[in-house]
Amino acid sequence: MTDEPLLEITDLATYFYSDEGTAKAVDGVSYKILPGETLGVVGESGSGKSVTALSIMQLIPQPPGKIVGGDIRFKGESLLTKSPEEMRKIRGNEIAMIFQEPMTALNPVYTVGDQIIETVRLHRGLDKAAAHAHAIRMLEKVGIPSPTTRVDEYPHQLSGGMRQRVMIAIAMSCDPSLLIADEPTTALDVTIQAQILDLIRDLQNETGMSVLLITHDLAVVAEVAHHVAVMYAGCVVEYASAEELYEKPLHPYSIGLFKSLPDLAGPNERLVTIPGMVPPATRFPSGCRFHPRCPIATDLCKTEQPKLVAPDSASGRVVACHHLDEASKL
Amino acid sequence: MSPNPLLEVTGLKKYFPIHKGILSRHVGDVKAVDGVNFTLGQEETLSLVGESGCGKTTCGRTLLRLYEPTAGSALWRPAPEEPAVDLFSISESEMRGLRRDLQIIFQDPYGSLNPRVTVSGAIGEALRVHGVASGSELDDRVEALLERVGLRAEVSNRYPHEFSGGQRQRIGIARALALNPKLIVCDEAVSALDVSIQAQVINLLKDLQEEYSLSYLFIAHDLSVVKYISDRVAVMYLGRIVEIGTTEQIFTSAAHPYTKALLSAIPIPDPKRRSKHIPLTGDVPSPINPPKGCHFAARCPVAEARCRDSYPEMRQLESGHTAACHLL
Repeated sequence: MTDEPLLEITDLATYFYSDEGTAKAVDGVSYKILPGETLGVVGESGSGKSVTALSIMQLIPQPPGKIVGGDIRFKGESLLTKSPEEMRKIRGNEIAMIFQEPMTALNPVYTVGDQIIETVRLHRGLDKAAAHAHAIRMLEKVGIPSPTTRVDEYPHQLSGGMRQRVMIAIAMSCDPSLLIADEPTTALDVTIQAQILDLIRDLQNETGMSVLLITHDLAVVAEVAHHVAVMYAGCVVEYASAEELYEKPLHPYSIGLFKSLPDLAGPNERLVTIPGMVPPATRFPSGCRFHPRCPIATDLCKTEQPKLVAPDSASGRVVACHHLDEASKL
Repeated sequence: MSPNPLLEVTGLKKYFPIHKGILSRHVGDVKAVDGVNFTLGQEETLSLVGESGCGKTTCGRTLLRLYEPTAGSALWRPAPEEPAVDLFSISESEMRGLRRDLQIIFQDPYGSLNPRVTVSGAIGEALRVHGVASGSELDDRVEALLERVGLRAEVSNRYPHEFSGGQRQRIGIARALALNPKLIVCDEAVSALDVSIQAQVINLLKDLQEEYSLSYLFIAHDLSVVKYISDRVAVMYLGRIVEIGTTEQIFTSAAHPYTKALLSAIPIPDPKRRSKHIPLTGDVPSPINPPKGCHFAARCPVAEARCRDSYPEMRQLESGHTAACHLL
């Protein structure tokens, strides 16, 4: 791993405009992904984790959405200044994406083979026969049994786990350097989830690609991520290596999230909860957005939004909280 | 397990017929639940766990006669000294009366609340229908219920769309509680909720259990939640229970290879303890034509020839812990 990030997001802001006001879905998000690593982005519904990913791909519907600030740099170049033509060459080729619900992401009227063939013919200029052979190879690679028959089947003939494997085959078909996986295992059963996570990890080891894994499940992140960004209400509140974060979360929100998980290994103590709920994106509170739910909030937190700062200079960890000393006693 | 359980289910089967062709000929059945036995004690939480399609939801709904059972009996004993009634042999109108005691909370609070009915309408309907309360007494009851589940009484005139997912689930809980039931079937009741909200709702369910002496049939796929909330756990695979025991027995000394694989697949929120999965290959067989041997044999890492020939009997391992596997 080199220190030059593959992808670097700085102060990204993506807003949605509607009659009910401006939804600041993403408002000052910064994180980076190193080559060959997996970054886990965790947060609850409405924290802006998926909108950040769609901003990277420039798939934000416009209007009502708009990237209003910040920068996204991929391999040293800003993606925000690329023309639609240039973005099309990157999407599905250098940056590929898989989604939560493979049935809605796959086209039901084309065979799975056709959908892989479309991608590689477009980006790699392969002829029909070569693309067909490539499709079979890809299906084999993602562990689909009898790929020569499966290649001519339609998505509805496959189980949920198989469909997600097909999605991964399409995403991997052009050998991307970044795979964005948005809740890839949320709709799957736990045994199938384990298979898919193993598959993504194996493919990563083989190709050296980076993975951006978006999920609400802290346990899934622990299984695969090297670094983790915790998001709350459109902002990153903590970014750290997985070991550091799971050893000792520093932000009051991260601390609360870990405490509200039922512990599989430990005794059944009463779950500690975070009071209240995530505010809607049109009405984020002033100052630190977590302050109405935070046990240690002060007047400063109500007025001034904390910046991401490093609690110690050695590691790359950053936390956005005014009261780290108090938080460490939580 | 008490000698006089609240509910005793024996040989529960639910088949969904498949009709084909212009004459709608009956060509087969989806054997969603195919011979399930369990008991549920007073103030006990029994969890039914398993993957999609194992029949856990069908089981819960058939118990409430939301689906008509194909076979089996469900002896319901509202108090230990009272005689039991078979929920599956009573008439529909008798069942309607019994629904005061048997309630359900669904996974999707968006889908289970009528968007055109206010919160007080949704919660109060059961009270009205069963003639428990009316007029200002009804309003008071609804407000008390709302406050008990952690919502403000003023919200009673609002509509479901004005609430978040977690709040809607609280409304669903208030509605289930309205008639002071003895058993609540929680069908994936916390699965759709965010982590911090899920913890709030789990705590609420636990508090209510103590306060109202409730029994829960908790249907879920998230095993860390199940471990936290259950007294006993039943693991289902393709329409049958393959292992049942106390939470302790299932989580510390699982015996069935499927239970072991299921437990090993749970991701652990600690990067230093990355779990070693027992890999399961292939998919769950079709419930239309299940194999004659052990249903799990095709995916089982330790299956032998006899596993494919005959379905294993449930075998007792220790008190309260039984499993269906030839290799025990």
